[in-house]
Amino acid sequence: MIRRALVALGVAGVVAGVLRVRGTGGTPPQQGGWRELTVDELAGSDGRSA
Amino acid sequence: MRIAVVGLGAVGARAARQLASTEEVEEVVLRDLQSARVDEIAGSLGGKARPEHGPYQAPADVDAVVVASPSGTHVDVAREAIERGVPVVSCSDLVEDVRALLDLGPEAEARGTTVAVGAAFSPGLTCVLAAFAAARLDAVDEIHVARIGTGGPACARQHHQSLGGVALDWRDGGWVRRPAGSGRELCWFPDPVGSADCYRAALPDALLLVPAFPGVGRVTARLAATRRDRLTGRLPMLRPPHPEGGVGAVRLEVRGRLAGVSTVEIYGAMDRPGVAGGAVAGLTAVEAARGSLRRTGAAGLAELVDSGAFLGELARRGVKVAAFAGS
Repeated sequence: MIRRALVALGVAGVVAGVLRVRGTGGTPPQQGGWRELTVDELAGSDGRSA
Repeated sequence: MRIAVVGLGAVGARAARQLASTEEVEEVVLRDLQSARVDEIAGSLGGKARPEHGPYQAPADVDAVVVASPSGTHVDVAREAIERGVPVVSCSDLVEDVRALLDLGPEAEARGTTVAVGAAFSPGLTCVLAAFAAARLDAVDEIHVARIGTGGPACARQHHQSLGGVALDWRDGGWVRRPAGSGRELCWFPDPVGSADCYRAALPDALLLVPAFPGVGRVTARLAATRRDRLTGRLPMLRPPHPEGGVGAVRLEVRGRLAGVSTVEIYGAMDRPGVAGGAVAGLTAVEAARGSLRRTGAAGLAELVDSGAFLGELARRGVKVAAFAGS
């Protein structure tokens, strides 16, 4: 019984570990940031569609 | 001009409001299967609203139709409108809807009208941002879309289901299908939303962006989700969705070349998805009714609108976009 519980915990831990480590964690931006575009900037673009 | 809005949920109601506040629009025809909802929205719009209660025997006699009903119901409404030569603006982000609407392209073209597909927050605003970014590059190599947040309950259900489906990416000239919920990537959205883990999902963005950017090498789309969202994506929603949705955001990253140098353009927007989606749909309908969409047939907004002018008008209507500068 204890062995089964330990196996179940081990499997759960492995699954959790896989879920946690898969994929790219990403790096926060080191400098810069978001800047709102003004209406003039938008209107002054060449405004192409694709 | 007279414009109909079919479906008065979070997005449809906002689209109706945007249309009612547009000077050129003389009448906004409101249709929804829930009569009480039709009356509620009509009451809030004032004199321009014309409520029509179901069952609907015939399509509305209008200059353009915004279809904002739940996903899965758009194609029949669009087909009826196209048969009368009336342009359609669809807000659906269901892959099957988008495919079926794009398939209506030849018929729409034959009748000299347009189906604007995926004209809401994402896709929709993201397509316009892609075109805006591409205008600053000599060549587009990659487009990556990420979104966070949902509009109303129908949108929330659609997003939940998309995490249990198959994601469609474009890579090196071919479609790549991967399980939704895979491919975790930390994405940075405009402040104050900040960062969120995003995953592949059954999203239609690539279907709309690939035809708009011939030669593009990679197109991906991801959706912000928690681990619980991913694990329960294939189950029914365990909790009722929020009636309005909270603040959301989109992020659009376009990689390409400018004067031979590799360049990245990153744009985003932060708003309530229902509000922004309604503004995009409403403005697209006005453009469609004016006859100023760039082509007939069926396509996403990247092919249909002047991106700079469209974003400028959206900004005047309260939907602001931002650029990320930095590294």
